[in-house]
Amino acid sequence: MTTLLEARYRAVLRLLPPYYRRAREDEMVETYLWDLDRDTQDQSRPTWGEVAGVVALAVRSRVGAPGAPHPYALLGSAARHFALFAVLLQAAAALVDRVLALTWSSTRGAAEWRLFVSGFTGHGPSSGAVEVAQWTLPLLWTVAYFALLRDRRRPARVASCLAALPTLWPLLGPLVSDSLPPEPAFATASALLAWLSVLALSVAHHRDAPPASLPAGTPGLVLLACCVVMGASVVLLPDGVDSAWAPVTCFLVGALAWLMWPARRASGPEAGHAGGALALAALGLLLLALRVCAVYPWRDAGLPAVFLGGAVGQAAVLTLLTATLCVLGGRELTRRDT
Amino acid sequence: MTQAAFFVLTALADQPRHGYGILREVEELSDGAVQLRVGTLYGVLDRLTADELIVLDREEVQQGRLRRYYRLTEEGTEALAAEAERMAAGAGAAKRRIAEGRRASEGNRPAGTVPPTAPGLAGGLA
Repeated sequence: MTTLLEARYRAVLRLLPPYYRRAREDEMVETYLWDLDRDTQDQSRPTWGEVAGVVALAVRSRVGAPGAPHPYALLGSAARHFALFAVLLQAAAALVDRVLALTWSSTRGAAEWRLFVSGFTGHGPSSGAVEVAQWTLPLLWTVAYFALLRDRRRPARVASCLAALPTLWPLLGPLVSDSLPPEPAFATASALLAWLSVLALSVAHHRDAPPASLPAGTPGLVLLACCVVMGASVVLLPDGVDSAWAPVTCFLVGALAWLMWPARRASGPEAGHAGGALALAALGLLLLALRVCAVYPWRDAGLPAVFLGGAVGQAAVLTLLTATLCVLGGRELTRRDT
Repeated sequence: MTQAAFFVLTALADQPRHGYGILREVEELSDGAVQLRVGTLYGVLDRLTADELIVLDREEVQQGRLRRYYRLTEEGTEALAAEAERMAAGAGAAKRRIAEGRRASEGNRPAGTVPPTAPGLAGGLA
């Protein structure tokens, strides 16, 4: 007869995916109940530690644990690719943004430089500290990117968490200081992109996951290529850019290159870069939200035609590309093992 | 190799064991320092099975409950031996360095002085 404790353990084990429960549930229940007196089992409950262990196993078995069936392996691979691509994009965006700001401020005379420095020093020490943190912490996306590709997962997690922190300030700052509230939709979209990247990196690149690798090129070269594309997109259209312009342009170039990459079409469903379409589709959706949120509040503000045209054009291409990636990703997900 | 994987392989080195047997053996081998949760244990068993370091030895049904026994494979024994060798080499190097450090500090101490063993008048050790 099933005891109450056994029923409780089985309820906790329902967190595991069906394939894993079929293979392991009875065995795990036996391990849990091994040395427990049957007469006292109705007074016991699974401990929080045991529940936490099952939750961790449930997450891991859903994102490509060893021996996971096709849909779970694919989702795991997609989550790992999403983390890698999102970290790469944010690393390049942070680098380019700061290099361009420094270049601009240091080559336009003393007044421009003073204006740049006053951003850190002109509003008191606490505001200055926040500004310095806002300026420097996103550079840690680069640390997270290289750490991830060198299979240093814990440093990558820590660096990405620290790099994402500044995205919370626009949301929390007005609550604890006299800073002006930001445009809420854009601040939320930025925070969502940053923290979903951290979540994917932390969950999908678990200890047993295969090491991260790029579809092509070396880590330094790929980051440099992203920086060049972003930097060029800003330099070529200096009057038509906002904070979403460079990352979205880089994503469009990268996603188009990925779609036309011959090795992608040649690779089967179990290839090392399976799940790439799903990962890019998810990233595309987040960037589309960022793109729309960046321009929509200013639609009636008399923006220059080149700016509005660029933003609308980007949004249109991004929608088309993301829809294509969604279709490809969906096909990959529903494809049966052959 | 993670600490948990090392201790699970060590627990299986002498005979096949089932889940609960592995948990108890790991706790005993590590003097209670490593207490694996059941969820963690099965994550480790999945990894080791995928890496072909352990295999299912047999299944038993006792009082209507499934009990699976695992054993090391040849590759598992070799991986464990290599890891044990690596750890022993590291431990040996650490012991040699500590001994050298102690000899060096004793050699630098002026003749006739002894290390302080009790607090001085001011309550310090100097």
